[in-house]
Amino acid sequence: MSASSRPRGVALAAALVAALTVLPLLVILPSAVSVGAESAAAYLLRPRVGQLLAHTGMLVVVTVPASIIIGVLAAWLVERTALPWAGLWRTLLLAPLAVPAFVSAYAWVTVAPWLTGFTGAALVTTLSYYPFVFLPAAAMLRTLDPGDEEAARSLGLSPTAAVVRTVLPRLRPALSGGALLVTLHLLAEFGVLQMMRFQTLTTAIMQQYAVGFSDAAGSLLASVLLTLCLLALVLELLARGRRRVSKIGLGAQRRAVPVALGPWTAPALFFLAVLVVLALVVPLGTVGRWLARADIAGDLASGLVQVTLSTLGLALLGALAATAAALPGAWLLNRHRSGLTLLLERVTFLGSALPGVVVGLALVTLAVTWARPVYQTVALVIMAYAILFVPRAMVSLRAGLAASPPELSEASRSLGQGGTATLVRVVLPLMAPSVLTGFVLVALAVGTELTATLLLAPTGVDTLALAFWRAASELDYAGAAPYAAMMIALSVPLTLLLRRQILEER
Amino acid sequence: MSEVRLRGVTAGYGREAVLDHVDLTVREGTTTAVLGGSGSGKTTLLRVISGFLRPGSGTVEVGGRTVAGPGVWVPPERRGVAYVRQEGALFPHLSVAGNIAFGLPWPRRRHRDRVLELLELVGLTADLADRRPDQLSGGQQQRVALARALAPRPELVLLDEPFSSLDAGLRVATREATARALRASGATALLVTHDQGEALSFADEVAILTLGRFRQVDRPTVVYREPVDAEVAEFLGDAVLLAGTAADGLVDCRLGTLPVGGPVPSGEVQVMVRPEQITLTETGTGQLDATVRAVTYFGHDAVVELDLANDAAHHPLRARVIGLHPPTPGDRVGVSVVGSVRAFPRGRTAAGTDLPVAEAS
Amino acid sequence: MSKNRHPLIALLLALPLALSACAGGGNSGSQDAYAPQPQTLQIYSSQHVNVTKALAEGFTAKTGIKTQVRDGEDASMGHMIVKEGDASPADVFLTENSPAMTVVERAGRLAPVQPATLAQAREGLAPSSGLWTPIAARSTVLVYNKDKISEADLPKSMMDLADPKWAGKWGAAPGGADFQAIVAGMLAERGEQQTRSWLEALTKNAKVYNNNIATMKAVNAGEVPVGIMYHYYWYRDQAGDKQGSANTALHFFGGGDPGAFVSLSAGGVLASSDMPEQAQQFLAYVTGPEGQRVMVDSGSMEYAIGKGVPSDPALPPLDSLQAPAVDASRLNSDDVISLMTDVGIL
Repeated sequence: MSASSRPRGVALAAALVAALTVLPLLVILPSAVSVGAESAAAYLLRPRVGQLLAHTGMLVVVTVPASIIIGVLAAWLVERTALPWAGLWRTLLLAPLAVPAFVSAYAWVTVAPWLTGFTGAALVTTLSYYPFVFLPAAAMLRTLDPGDEEAARSLGLSPTAAVVRTVLPRLRPALSGGALLVTLHLLAEFGVLQMMRFQTLTTAIMQQYAVGFSDAAGSLLASVLLTLCLLALVLELLARGRRRVSKIGLGAQRRAVPVALGPWTAPALFFLAVLVVLALVVPLGTVGRWLARADIAGDLASGLVQVTLSTLGLALLGALAATAAALPGAWLLNRHRSGLTLLLERVTFLGSALPGVVVGLALVTLAVTWARPVYQTVALVIMAYAILFVPRAMVSLRAGLAASPPELSEASRSLGQGGTATLVRVVLPLMAPSVLTGFVLVALAVGTELTATLLLAPTGVDTLALAFWRAASELDYAGAAPYAAMMIALSVPLTLLLRRQILEER
Repeated sequence: MSEVRLRGVTAGYGREAVLDHVDLTVREGTTTAVLGGSGSGKTTLLRVISGFLRPGSGTVEVGGRTVAGPGVWVPPERRGVAYVRQEGALFPHLSVAGNIAFGLPWPRRRHRDRVLELLELVGLTADLADRRPDQLSGGQQQRVALARALAPRPELVLLDEPFSSLDAGLRVATREATARALRASGATALLVTHDQGEALSFADEVAILTLGRFRQVDRPTVVYREPVDAEVAEFLGDAVLLAGTAADGLVDCRLGTLPVGGPVPSGEVQVMVRPEQITLTETGTGQLDATVRAVTYFGHDAVVELDLANDAAHHPLRARVIGLHPPTPGDRVGVSVVGSVRAFPRGRTAAGTDLPVAEAS
Repeated sequence: MSKNRHPLIALLLALPLALSACAGGGNSGSQDAYAPQPQTLQIYSSQHVNVTKALAEGFTAKTGIKTQVRDGEDASMGHMIVKEGDASPADVFLTENSPAMTVVERAGRLAPVQPATLAQAREGLAPSSGLWTPIAARSTVLVYNKDKISEADLPKSMMDLADPKWAGKWGAAPGGADFQAIVAGMLAERGEQQTRSWLEALTKNAKVYNNNIATMKAVNAGEVPVGIMYHYYWYRDQAGDKQGSANTALHFFGGGDPGAFVSLSAGGVLASSDMPEQAQQFLAYVTGPEGQRVMVDSGSMEYAIGKGVPSDPALPPLDSLQAPAVDASRLNSDDVISLMTDVGIL
């Protein structure tokens, strides 16, 4: 890179963000170490921990590949084939993002009470998380120049072989990023698994806190989770590969000629219809059924509007913070890839694999000790959101920076625009779609966050997710329904924004 | 005052110096073409002048102001140096008008007149103003990139192989439009290219850059007709190189005794004749006789490969003739040399490499 | 790239600011409604939200002392108070189950409750430490599916469930704080040997659910014939649409059986409180007749613990339950945890 675009300021910002995201570790690791090697080994090397690890592993091993297969297949059908009503399918396939995973789990528990344990957990997590793969895969398939595929065909490959050997390799960064998000979510998932009675490390950690034991045991289990997270991060790096897959040249790319499905049309439609029914119709139908019995006037009186507004406020502020926090690291990695910048980016993923209660309690300790004035303020809970959800933004931003090559920044500076003006007038507008994607993904996550919000939000602040969870834990489905419906209603515009972004990405 | 002056500029990436104590002056309102092969340091030169690369030593002045030198560093955006790239690098999120107005100060960005004026200057029609960059052809994109560069009335426009990605017909048209626009705007310009035709036809001066040093900087006719050495001669176009002996302003070689232009060395020399200096006539009417061995026909002209009757070794000799009535292989023709030839001392070239022993043509 | 995206982004950027302003001003009109207010009693509560709210409002109406409630869950709130240490804004802590309170007690963060307040609770409920007071009680029960098992076939003691003939036929939520209290009662009553083998049988024989409600629903759905839980979830469901309990009935073990254990919701005053007097006043109100009545009227179906305050008429009287006598202060003992950890429940 050139000597003039010195990234010192950006590097400093990225280092600060990385430091922020490892803050919880400063509490957890000493606490885990304080247990002592012998007691730690005695605690961790038990059949029970083995079982928790096995459960966590099983879930990752089944849900991640299932999300990839469903996400890619659906994306390919919608973007590259002559599927009828592709536009409608695109919306419907993204829509599960608008349904919080634990709402979906609640719906499944009422619709199919027998569906619990591993099967239920794997089903609901797959249905809730496949959009993390579908979204980037669809965006990428849409922009991918069909040239490679055609070249492969003319070299004698069958249509399927051409897709496998030219399209899939170029989807690698999108897929590995999506798979990483799914993995991290699975490691930290609590609501769905609690609902499905499937115990993993995270639900066990929640249990540790619930029985009032010292939090050292929780810290030990959290350290195991961190190790798993590190493993996932390394595997993702290996899976991503180092090749540059974006095309920088200008000029209109050709749109691919849609593949005719022929006799496969009916099976394809059936597959998508089943997917939409399972992921969308079941939860929406159930919420709708509860809603019919809900006392909406009563909920309005008891502050539904206020709760909605504070949820919206927290979601947007949290999204803003996490997106801004992801920017320096993503930019550095794009423009100055080195071991150090890679480390700065990877580190930001660690906090997200931890359950909200671990991050929340760690921040309580830190804030009370070092930053008393921010304790129980919006600032602290927003910081927690940034720590928990920065990867959602990071994964999107990394894709977006490829759309803003350094050549354009230089062109802008040659035209008399300084660094800031270039950022505002060139880099950010070009990244807008991916910034927006990251923003929306974080906002959706914040809107459904439970534990960290409970621990850190200012006294008196309530959110839709907390209100839903409270009511649902007491079996008050009718009471929970308006909050679930409101969460979904708030998420719909965000999901539509994502859809727009796929459509417009070039 | 938009003269550009480089003095003793050394620059590179890491330890490797790509530019090696380079001096260059581009006079106000003129265009200089830097001609060089890949790896010669062309793009590095532009990055130093535009401010994207700090020189290791030396000074860069633009319009009388030192923009880089000991203790001085003006960032790119404050140099008034516009940069047009090989692939226009238009902002994909802005319309044509938005691209052109990009570098204008804010109050003027909304005014269409300057945009339309620039579109006209680069030979585009006003109806393109609201198109998106990807709706333009490659040539149109380059013209918009030029208009964008000229809009803020820069001290200097740098053009980095701006025509190389265009196909032949478009390249000529775009080049001419660019040259016209630059002249009309009175801008000082520096073009970087590896295409000698482009360099010679486009610029007021041509600077030949190899291995990070300028070998010759002069008007196109001078560098073409009076290259400083054989390598530069070949760089600028087809050259016939022959062994010869020089004395008293004349040189003896296989083509006979010919007058030498420019500096005249004595003793063993290498003689450079441009193929178009060699004319064909009826057999017996020229200075020498020859047989046509092969003809490569280009339409407007043709390259004729000759076997000189007095050359037992049958070294081929190339002549370039107008394409109206080219000879056919086997024809016997008379050969004459028009004008003076160049003679370079044998042994070592300016670049320090040994000349090949065998004659090249 | 369409032109109207930019206003969209601007809107997204502007919204949070507008909202935070509006959320901040929403409650009381002041700019900083959520910051701890001076001269306002800070109540940390993992009790049911509406119960706490009713208690706080009743207290303010009676005394004029302003209150602010921070809601949480047993699982994390006790730990949170411990982590806050001396800097804790909390004056009073109310829990759903007593173990969350003993986390705080063991950390030395509680001030003794005024004897007069302790005296308002029924005999034998308050912990020997006197550092916190019960504010409500819930009884362990056996819930059974009337279609799957007849009353005569029910186990006589909760200990009987360890018998291999009950394998796969009962459900429980051993991971919850509720259950841990039950085990503590068993340990105090029957000793380590019996408790351990009962827990081992549980890991083999019982279907494990995540909470009481899940257990009740499983029994209702016929997944298992019987389950161990607390009473009030059942009564609440019965008072409502009976969706989760229509096919079930409750069996109270009685006779001092570990299965008749009564767990307490707790209230305590923080040692670091800067309004200790008002905090004690609040606990006195909560355990007094007025506060207890407010709780009963909230429909939580928990037992009132105040002397002379009747619980909901649907419930069998607290005195008739023949609960085992266990010192609530000891319920969070490390013994219970290590025993449960050893057996592999935690």
